[in-house]
Amino acid sequence: MKQLIFLTAFLSFAFAKAQTELPELILRNISGKKVNIQQLSEGTPIVFSFWATWCTPCMRELDAIKEHYSYQQKEFGFEVVAIATDDARTKQRVKTESMGRNWPYEILLDTKNVLIRSLGNPQIPLTLIVKNNKIVYRHSSFTPGAELELFEEFKKHLD
Amino acid sequence: MKKLLFTAVAICCLNISKAQNGNFTGGFESNSQWYQNDPGLDNDGDGIGITAPQDQLRSNNYFKLNYNYGKFTAGAQYEMYQPSPLLGYFPGYADNAIATFFANFRHKKLDVTAGNFYDQFGSGLIYRSWEDHTLGVDNSIRGIRVNYQFTDYLEATGFSGNQRAAFELSEGTVQGVNTELDLGSALNLETSIRVGASYVGRYQPSTSPDPNFPATVNAYSIRSDVFMKALNFGFEYVYKEPDAFILGGTAQNGTYSDGRAFLFTAGYAVPGLGVNAVVRSLENMGFYSDREQQGNAFLQQTINFIPGYTKQSSYAVSNIYVYAPQALLSPAENKAGEIGGQLDVVYTAKKGSLLGGEKGTTFSFNYSNWSGLEASFDLANNTYEASLFSRGERYFEEYSLEVYKKINDRFSVKLTGTQTYYDGIIIEGATFRLNGTAIVGDFLYELEDGKSMRLDLQHLAADADRGNWAAATLEYAFSSSLSIYALDLYNYSETDIHYYSLGGSYTKGRSRIALNFGRQRGGLICVGGVCRFVPENTGFTLNLSTNF
Repeated sequence: MKQLIFLTAFLSFAFAKAQTELPELILRNISGKKVNIQQLSEGTPIVFSFWATWCTPCMRELDAIKEHYSYQQKEFGFEVVAIATDDARTKQRVKTESMGRNWPYEILLDTKNVLIRSLGNPQIPLTLIVKNNKIVYRHSSFTPGAELELFEEFKKHLD
Repeated sequence: MKKLLFTAVAICCLNISKAQNGNFTGGFESNSQWYQNDPGLDNDGDGIGITAPQDQLRSNNYFKLNYNYGKFTAGAQYEMYQPSPLLGYFPGYADNAIATFFANFRHKKLDVTAGNFYDQFGSGLIYRSWEDHTLGVDNSIRGIRVNYQFTDYLEATGFSGNQRAAFELSEGTVQGVNTELDLGSALNLETSIRVGASYVGRYQPSTSPDPNFPATVNAYSIRSDVFMKALNFGFEYVYKEPDAFILGGTAQNGTYSDGRAFLFTAGYAVPGLGVNAVVRSLENMGFYSDREQQGNAFLQQTINFIPGYTKQSSYAVSNIYVYAPQALLSPAENKAGEIGGQLDVVYTAKKGSLLGGEKGTTFSFNYSNWSGLEASFDLANNTYEASLFSRGERYFEEYSLEVYKKINDRFSVKLTGTQTYYDGIIIEGATFRLNGTAIVGDFLYELEDGKSMRLDLQHLAADADRGNWAAATLEYAFSSSLSIYALDLYNYSETDIHYYSLGGSYTKGRSRIALNFGRQRGGLICVGGVCRFVPENTGFTLNLSTNF
């Protein structure tokens, strides 16, 4: 019990000092090119969507965003980077699924889960809005219609 | 005392963070189950059903805290399994302690870790350390790991240490070296070409009077990956030196066999069409940091990673007969390994086309086929012969086609048909071989204000084991934070048992809570192509998680 109290107290303290930045890291995209994740959000908000080919709600979310993407992109500069957390088992499916579904996003591979581990290894789908490398919004899980909330949230972080 | 300690730590951390602007990351996850007696869950027809295990209330808890300041990161994970781990988890977890810890320094081209680390060489066929709470896997290595980037296109990693075995360390020592060369960057090519080579070795003192007994087992691999604009392909080959054959958890003197593995992948993708194929063959590729743990049911102390390359499904009837890779030697079953592969095709028909209709239609096709290697065992001399590129008995074969169609802005439908052949004798040591046909309809309707309703109807017709199954799930989302569900999986042709469950979950920002009550079908639970066995049970489940 004492341990539990200790943990809770420590947890709430840690919360107050919660991490708000992405680490220095280079991931590869589905064409094999290196992308520095800290440079993606320089001067502009950007959505980081963590997904995997085996995660049904993740696929639904990225399919749903696609429906509105060209309009949101043109009007508000809405931009999504979809980060696949697929490991060695399903890694080769990432390109197949994302291209086969006509997704207009930059797709990065976090095959060794280094990035998602640095965020505390949360469950996916996980959606972040990042600006100047600071995490300004964080949401996990997806239910249909949540993409509309994301568009609204995104607008709040435009200058 | 505790209070004092806490205050000291808090003040200390606060000062550090204030003065030097470091930050914390971490998380807390708790999975608890309260097991109940259930006379209705009566598989064998003796009228008794399922009795709750001795510790009825069990809880697996993980608390992770990392502190980062500039080039330094340090962290630890505290784990508590009270009073015993959940059913189906390695019983050796029954304890609580700081399970893993590390300190890391990164500066320019150098990355050094002391303590527990996770890594992977190539596809993991030679080495992978990873963590998965659902499977009860954490085979991180405690030791030293150094990674150095010589140039933009050349890097190397070396490590040495002992693998985690619940709250202890493995008896075997593992070391490895990996080099990766990005030829595409080095030669400034449009095409990305990467080549790599790895070495991984395990040393564990000999337990045998035989001077030839292999205390050290080394493995070597080479690989290459090529990405062109639409095309990509890759291969990997692993050779593992002779290791002792394990029978009933004991190393056999004089029976030493080497192993090898081959992996080939190819893909083609243009907007609207994606195709990929995987071919893999394995011979005697079990690789464990403690040799006597070979083939253990709890996935402990595995050095390499051998996932099943098959279609992954989230539907209840499609998760009953799932292929599990056959990498180990088994003279009694004439098994030396496996060969097989899968093909995936994803195609989206454009809006306005004949197949696409008003909103477009997505088709996903998967075919997989796995067989044993052709092998002949000479039991008298403890030897065998097998070829890595031969096909013996068929273990598993599956065709599946999924069609996803958005009918209008609110309503979408996904239909899936699957035909499966499953050799239960080989895959799970059962007494049946089975052909099954599964059909699933999944209907999603979006209401106003972020509310939605999902219904799926599932059926599996099978010609052996427990015969036919039907299932349905109804899910209702009140908002993007709150949803509830009810599921019934019904084995109607043999046992007349309903595996029902109901529950809900609430998510807010960084935290999630989920609660459910119901029956868990026993058998292999597979996550990411890796399977563990879970006994049948009934009870309440509570999952809590938060990240910061």
